[in-house]
Amino acid sequence: MNQITRERLFGFRHAFDDRVTVVLTLAVVVLLFLAPLLILIATRVANSAAEKQKELWDRYRSWIWLSAFILIPILAGAFWTILGVAALSFLCYREYARITGLFRERTISLIVAIGILLITFSVLDNWYRFFLALFPLTVALIATGGLIPDQPKGYIQRVGLGVLGFALFGSAFGHLGYMANDWNYRPILLLIICAVELNDIFAYICGHLFGHRKFVPHTSPNKTAGGALGAIVLTTPLVAIGAHFVWIGTALDNPVRLLGLGVIVSVVGQFGDLMLSSVKRDLGLKDTAKLIPGHGGILDRFDSLILVAPAVFHYVNYFVGFAVGQPQAIFHG
Amino acid sequence: MQPWKLQPARDTGLTPAERFRSVRRETGLLESLAHHFSFLILRIYLVVAHRLQILGRHHLPAHAPFILATNHCSHLDALSVVAALQARHRERAFPIAAGDVFFQTTPVSVFSAIVLNALPMWRKNCGPHALAELRRKLQGEKCIYVIFPEGSRSRDGHMSPFKHGLGMLVAETPVPVVPCFIGGTFEALPSHRKIPRPTQIKIVMGQPLDFATTANNREGWSQIARSVESAVCNLATQS
Repeated sequence: MNQITRERLFGFRHAFDDRVTVVLTLAVVVLLFLAPLLILIATRVANSAAEKQKELWDRYRSWIWLSAFILIPILAGAFWTILGVAALSFLCYREYARITGLFRERTISLIVAIGILLITFSVLDNWYRFFLALFPLTVALIATGGLIPDQPKGYIQRVGLGVLGFALFGSAFGHLGYMANDWNYRPILLLIICAVELNDIFAYICGHLFGHRKFVPHTSPNKTAGGALGAIVLTTPLVAIGAHFVWIGTALDNPVRLLGLGVIVSVVGQFGDLMLSSVKRDLGLKDTAKLIPGHGGILDRFDSLILVAPAVFHYVNYFVGFAVGQPQAIFHG
Repeated sequence: MQPWKLQPARDTGLTPAERFRSVRRETGLLESLAHHFSFLILRIYLVVAHRLQILGRHHLPAHAPFILATNHCSHLDALSVVAALQARHRERAFPIAAGDVFFQTTPVSVFSAIVLNALPMWRKNCGPHALAELRRKLQGEKCIYVIFPEGSRSRDGHMSPFKHGLGMLVAETPVPVVPCFIGGTFEALPSHRKIPRPTQIKIVMGQPLDFATTANNREGWSQIARSVESAVCNLATQS
């Protein structure tokens, strides 16, 4: 492992080398400090019920922890970021397997877990070809593992659920981890995560202000066309401006391409949200778990990020590329 | 096209702390690996330190569900019985433990759930609802329960009369009850001791008893308690 890789993986001294990282970190910290004031004003003005107030404060307290769990690994180094993404993959897969009942299929779950571990290794190793190969190989292994109980009844269900679980939480989230192989990964990841979370908030606020027409009443009755459009209108320029500073002077630094990135983050983020809404509605559940007070499960909180990760990765990879100039095959040589 | 049968975990919607204390708890891959690992360590400890001897293991039914009903004089009892089971049975084995001891605080609940795979029985307010939940789980999830029908540990090494709870779980069901006698655990770790003595522990398992035709009422439960108690007493005299 050379000095550049060591600095990227563990070099916390480089945490604030990029201006966008400083701005986004400060924005998160300032928001966390201002939020209690905003909650107090909002609950006074709206004269909210005690239950609603408690939920808001629960959400706020959870956001403090969530922000720490997101910011600290990203600032600390790529190694911690990749491990953080792996933990997120495992936690999300666990919730998904428990709500769908897939957790009872131990062999499938074991294969998915091994797949996530291998994805994490390929990401840490910066071994892109192995990273790409892991999706079809793990799918093949899941299809084979489904044969072990020698029970054709339910084969399609257990293999189908296993493949979907690995695709979403192993492969798709793996792209988020792979971004950490770029030397300038901190502003990229912070920009995407902040934009996706803001996109949710914009959709919620715009939905309340201009939302009249239901968007997908059977999937998510609270979502409105006004909310969805409002989120696109607000998130797109924000992402474009942030991305301009992150990829300044590169092939991506062109107004149309930057706006394209913004539209991808906003639209795909909302599709991720709707995807999990569909899964929950299909199962007749409100939340995927009761782990984070005020939010539900980890999956409820990070659903919008699932589909955004591969979409953004491949969009940026097409124009600029990730991990350009970084040594590959760090561990296996 | 046939609709998929998607059945979420029965503990969905519980907080982690509630889940560890709930009878509805269903274990996943990691917890299952943790149980296997802890039971392996336990078995090594019991074989090395207590020269664990198991007699009559061939009486155990090939498939769950079934109940192991045994005498109780030490915290080592549940550990010994679970460690005596074959590996394929261990994942489904749930010692039914006193809620006020093993599930009083969250850290203790986590230990009891993850290491022992125990389920709580609240002795002070154990209503029919709790037993009905255990009865449903026993058959629905094909479990193996390790039950101490005396209700609590013997303070003098002598067996107390068996209580009705066992009958409420198995009356009018095809679930067999395997009577089981544990000797040596009182000498090893009686209720007043904190550290076990390395004395020998011996487990004797008897022929399974069937209560499919025993009425699911107070009279039937008493009858079940009496017959299991007498089977365990017989095993004690044989050992």
